[in-house]
Amino acid sequence: MIKREYEQFQFQGEELKKLAEIKPHKLIDLRGAVCPHPLNVIRDTISSLNDKEILQAICDHEPTAKENVPRFSARRGYPFGIIEQNGLWQIFIQKIEKAQPRLQVVNVSKAFKTSDGNFTALNEVNLTIHQGEFVCLLGPSGCGKTTLLNLIAGLDKPTKGEIWSNGNRVTGPGSDRVVVFQEGALFPWLTVMQNVEFGLKILKVDGKIRKALALDYLKLVGLDEKFHNSFIHQLSGGMKQRVAIARALAMEPSVLLMDEPFAALDVYTRETLQEELQNIWSESHKTIVFVTHNVQEAALLGDRVIVFGKNPGRIKSEYEIDIERPRKIDNPEVFLNTKWITNDLREEIEGSEYEDEVRGVAQR
Amino acid sequence: MSKRLIKLVLFYIILIGVWQCLAFLKVWPEYIFPSPLGVLKTLVTGFEDKTFIIGILISMKRILIGYGISIVLGLLIGLLIGRIKTLNETLGTLVLGFQALPSICWLPLALLWFGLSETAMQAIVILGSLFSIIIGADTGVKNVPPIYIRAARTMGARGLQLYTKVIIPAALPSIISGFKQGWSFAWRSLMAAELLYVGLGLGHLLMMGRELNDMNQVIAVMIVIIVIGVVVDRLIFAKIENKVRERWGLA
Repeated sequence: MIKREYEQFQFQGEELKKLAEIKPHKLIDLRGAVCPHPLNVIRDTISSLNDKEILQAICDHEPTAKENVPRFSARRGYPFGIIEQNGLWQIFIQKIEKAQPRLQVVNVSKAFKTSDGNFTALNEVNLTIHQGEFVCLLGPSGCGKTTLLNLIAGLDKPTKGEIWSNGNRVTGPGSDRVVVFQEGALFPWLTVMQNVEFGLKILKVDGKIRKALALDYLKLVGLDEKFHNSFIHQLSGGMKQRVAIARALAMEPSVLLMDEPFAALDVYTRETLQEELQNIWSESHKTIVFVTHNVQEAALLGDRVIVFGKNPGRIKSEYEIDIERPRKIDNPEVFLNTKWITNDLREEIEGSEYEDEVRGVAQR
Repeated sequence: MSKRLIKLVLFYIILIGVWQCLAFLKVWPEYIFPSPLGVLKTLVTGFEDKTFIIGILISMKRILIGYGISIVLGLLIGLLIGRIKTLNETLGTLVLGFQALPSICWLPLALLWFGLSETAMQAIVILGSLFSIIIGADTGVKNVPPIYIRAARTMGARGLQLYTKVIIPAALPSIISGFKQGWSFAWRSLMAAELLYVGLGLGHLLMMGRELNDMNQVIAVMIVIIVIGVVVDRLIFAKIENKVRERWGLA
């Protein structure tokens, strides 16, 4: 993956010359630095840049993900160039004006009425998600992560605050934000094909196009053709979730909202689907908001992991996970990130199901 | 032939055999205890001179009209009660109350309102089956997993589409059960009502048998009524119900 990003920004001939001629406004010399955290040095420097200023970082070895030198992708609003001269690697970074956020959660609170009064599920939550990001919402049950997803989906209304999608205020569900639920949301009275076509039918898409789209996406999620006319109860848990993902993708939403989609699956099926989801994401450049209570899953899948705390539900901390893709579950960096986030959660949450989660991770 | 079928056939052969023996021994007079042969003869003549066929057609016409109206009304009211909380808390209780009333208890009211007429007949059929159908639809709608509705909404379904594309299909197993129960109630109350009304239906033929002291006819008409009930229940409703349950993955 990192190789591909290099290619994307590989400069040749004239361009290379131009890049070499750039006089950076700021320079960080990382020669001889034994990285643990050049990442933070560069990131802090970027935030102090003016829009027009250019940052140059010099390393004396190839910046690789393993050594934790950041790769600033265009997705985050930072274009970069890397050139190699005489064994020195130079990284050029310019802060650009960030694109309009794909999703914006502004001061959102949500309270539910219960028999013992009001229950605050979410308290003053702020979150910005950009186009193409894979964001995981992580936390124990009752922390409001699913509530936030429902609010973004427009299935519920916030008690306070606003949610914006692509610059429009969210007032209800929209076909630009489709939800993939945990098992059990497929319609049992329809076949697999009819389920995938459901949303397109609502959108009044012509029959032929509808069928073609459904077939495309069923192929993308890797469901065997012989199951296309099966009923839902004839499928295994993993196949059901493939169909559920295909059904959401068939609407071609730019945002995919996933509510613990793999929680009910066995470990092996889950790992397969996690890998395939990464592939689907990198091919389709969709924005994915993924709710999970599994730390490892969050560390594996997310560009960013938003950790929720409870009583009241709020955002506790945020992690950027900068590991090359596709990531495997046995990647040591994923393991390391899992451990950090788990420690963070353990501080706050005692006696919840997290104990089991932590033990589970430690055993692996 | 399966073992079950052999047992079944043997049972009926023995039953009819014992019956024939008892009749042959003339333990009781024939107007109290008819013979199977006599009943068979009456059945044959009844179908030959078309009195039974006319009886069946007339009863069927009544039930189809009454039951049809019941289905339309019951489905509509049931869906509304299931979805609208206020209706559920008000009209819903009334429906539950009426459901507890045996349908034949509507007869005096129907006779006073409509006199001894076809309309009274229809009213009893409708009132006999309506509440089962309402409750079937209502239960079905209330038990639709909310996640189906959320999933449909996130895919852009709203308003009437939610009913036609999600709520009704999801509630169908329960709706069909309501239809099935409604039909058997309709059939029972129609027969009861026909006993009291000179209108050539099956119930009337049954009563005629009593008035003529013709036990053969009484038993023969009873058999016709049973057969129609069983055929509709087993061959139509049970089949649909099984198919739906199978498809929904409930079986």
